[in-house]
Amino acid sequence: MAKNLGRLFSLVMGLSEPKLGLSTARSVSVNSARRLICSSATRQQGSPKSQGEAISETQEKIQSEKEQDNGDGDGDGEDEGDEPDLNKETGEVGGPRGPEPTRYGDWERNGRCYDF
Amino acid sequence: VPGMLYISRSCGASNLLRIKRSSFSHNPLIEIYKPLRTRIESCLRDGSTKYFDFAVIGSGVAGLRYALEVAKHGTVAVITKAEPHESNTNYAQGGVSAVLCPSDSVESHMQDTIIAGAYLCDEETVKSSISSLAHVQVVCTEGPDRIRELIAMGASFDHGEDGNLHLAREGGHSHRRIVHAADMTGREIERALLEAVLNDPNIYVFQHHFAIDLLTSQDGSETVCHGVDILNTETKEVIRFISKVTLLASGGVGHIYPTTTNPPVATGDGMAMAHRAQAVISNMEFVQFHPTALADEGLPISPTKTRENAFLITEAVRGDGGILYNLDMQRFMPFYDERAELAPRDVVARGIDDQLKKRNEKYVLLDISHKPREKILSHFPNIAAECLRYGLDITSQPIPVVPAAHYMCGGVRAGLQGETNVCCLYVAGEVACTGLHGANRLASNSLLEALVFARRAVQPSIDRMKSSLLDRCASDCWDRPVYPTSLGTSVLEKIVRRTREVRKELQLIMWKYVGIVRSTIRLKTAEQRIGELELEWEAYLFQQGWEPTMVGLEACEMRNLFCCAKLVVSSALARHESRGLHYTIDFPNLEESKRLPTIIFPCSTPMDSTWSSRQVHKQIC
Repeated sequence: MAKNLGRLFSLVMGLSEPKLGLSTARSVSVNSARRLICSSATRQQGSPKSQGEAISETQEKIQSEKEQDNGDGDGDGEDEGDEPDLNKETGEVGGPRGPEPTRYGDWERNGRCYDF
Repeated sequence: VPGMLYISRSCGASNLLRIKRSSFSHNPLIEIYKPLRTRIESCLRDGSTKYFDFAVIGSGVAGLRYALEVAKHGTVAVITKAEPHESNTNYAQGGVSAVLCPSDSVESHMQDTIIAGAYLCDEETVKSSISSLAHVQVVCTEGPDRIRELIAMGASFDHGEDGNLHLAREGGHSHRRIVHAADMTGREIERALLEAVLNDPNIYVFQHHFAIDLLTSQDGSETVCHGVDILNTETKEVIRFISKVTLLASGGVGHIYPTTTNPPVATGDGMAMAHRAQAVISNMEFVQFHPTALADEGLPISPTKTRENAFLITEAVRGDGGILYNLDMQRFMPFYDERAELAPRDVVARGIDDQLKKRNEKYVLLDISHKPREKILSHFPNIAAECLRYGLDITSQPIPVVPAAHYMCGGVRAGLQGETNVCCLYVAGEVACTGLHGANRLASNSLLEALVFARRAVQPSIDRMKSSLLDRCASDCWDRPVYPTSLGTSVLEKIVRRTREVRKELQLIMWKYVGIVRSTIRLKTAEQRIGELELEWEAYLFQQGWEPTMVGLEACEMRNLFCCAKLVVSSALARHESRGLHYTIDFPNLEESKRLPTIIFPCSTPMDSTWSSRQVHKQIC
């Protein structure tokens, strides 16, 4: 996950080329990318007050799921030590954690399908 | 032409499919005689013309890959309507398919492609679709080399613990063969290619340059492309690009539908321009949808801004036990398939579409709330978070979903070298119809197709370029389009507002009548309604003072959307069977004798044609 963030940041830097006058802020335009950059810093916003505690509980759970996915490696069956980036389930280095993204046909990441 | 399933509004069609092999030895436009002094003056009078050896329209994987090769032989203009990275490529996050594993084979990849494409059923029937089989073969054979080149150019793909490329296996593939970069393969490829392009001194990138129409002339029975007229959407200036060779790599057309995964730039500009330029279009009825995109209309809190591209809910939700209901909470999938929610994606898409049309509703419900809360949140935090933003808790409520348009299998008909029936015009990527995808695209084959055909178009383009003579006065041979400054800001704003409304109306017509489950009567209704809407919109424009040579971004995109929508409807009406992505209740079965591409020939002398079906500039010499 950290590696992905690193890649995204270098993408942003790489795309701000004076030759074209691309603005850094607009370069990374994919929603999921923005979410990746923002999720570890901020809490979820915008839920209606009337749903109260159930909502904030769910929010905390989502937050902790995303943090786990971000690099703890606890309890999801991964090796620590030599290959912290290795996903034992898929045999992939540097890729997404958890089960095979294409296990049901399309490419999924935490529930969102990003290609098929 | 025997052996072709086609519709034609034209007169003589016999010449249109044969690609002339003879070299193009002279430019007919040079034969216009003018005294030398006058010629030079008239050339210099208009400064807004640019001359390039190669013009590339579109900056996705196909356009950039091609540009990098031809740049070794001449000057290249890469013309892109927004920022260079805004392309369907950038949103193709899954992967690229290629045979890269010793236990895999080109034959296997070909077979998976052909089966998915519902195109050929056995060896013997291959002959009548021989061009498609050849396309399948070249793509699957040349794929691995194209991937290696990308890696050499700096694209970074994921590896396995053995240090080799990590190959995933995606729906429809019988081997692991998808090369990918985490969940942003398209973006990674785009990044690597763009970096190389920006560093190439022979390539000039023109961003926020919108292509209006191709510049064409008739050389006997053949149409020749000389370049393209462009609108700089920032300065509002019209610029004429004269090029010896043009590559159309403008991508898809998702925005003919209201819900699409495509970014806003995908308005079918290339398909429309090519059709207006007399290029042959093929297989436009085959539109690929994903069954379950988040339906904003079903959310408790409406998003304040219209979503630009769809949030797709993965099939894994159904795989993990999610159930589909209509708004009466009836579980409907068992009526369509015994596998119910676990039926293949296209079957589910059809089931959902059928329910929506029969019941006249806007979305169905995908319910996973019966599963343990912990599991839902740990498997699908992305969906949970997104829905929560709009007041929906997926652990206790169903998710509103609707199918989203994703990929256009059809497009400008391309030969094995990416050539079209228009001389000096080549195509690659989603805008092209190479026959690879047949009636349904196999996952991850689209980036591959773009790479392979972009590369294949290179040598013929170079040969063509070398045998062309550039006439600097060619630019005077067509009327110039103009930006309608003379109409004034408030009229222009009115026109833009009305055009936006018309676009929404067109999208609704397409979704309602040209969706996933089709019928002759619905398609005919669509044809009529689209025709009426188009005339109404054009009348409005001209009433406001718009003239035929005037161009603006919204208006030009609208005319392209109309053009493509009509191509989809005509193609769908022409296919009297159901195959792959085209399903019609009037011909619900596959018909062996109809296993042929749908071809649309252009009309050489359009009668009562609309603004969207004519090129903006008239040839004046």
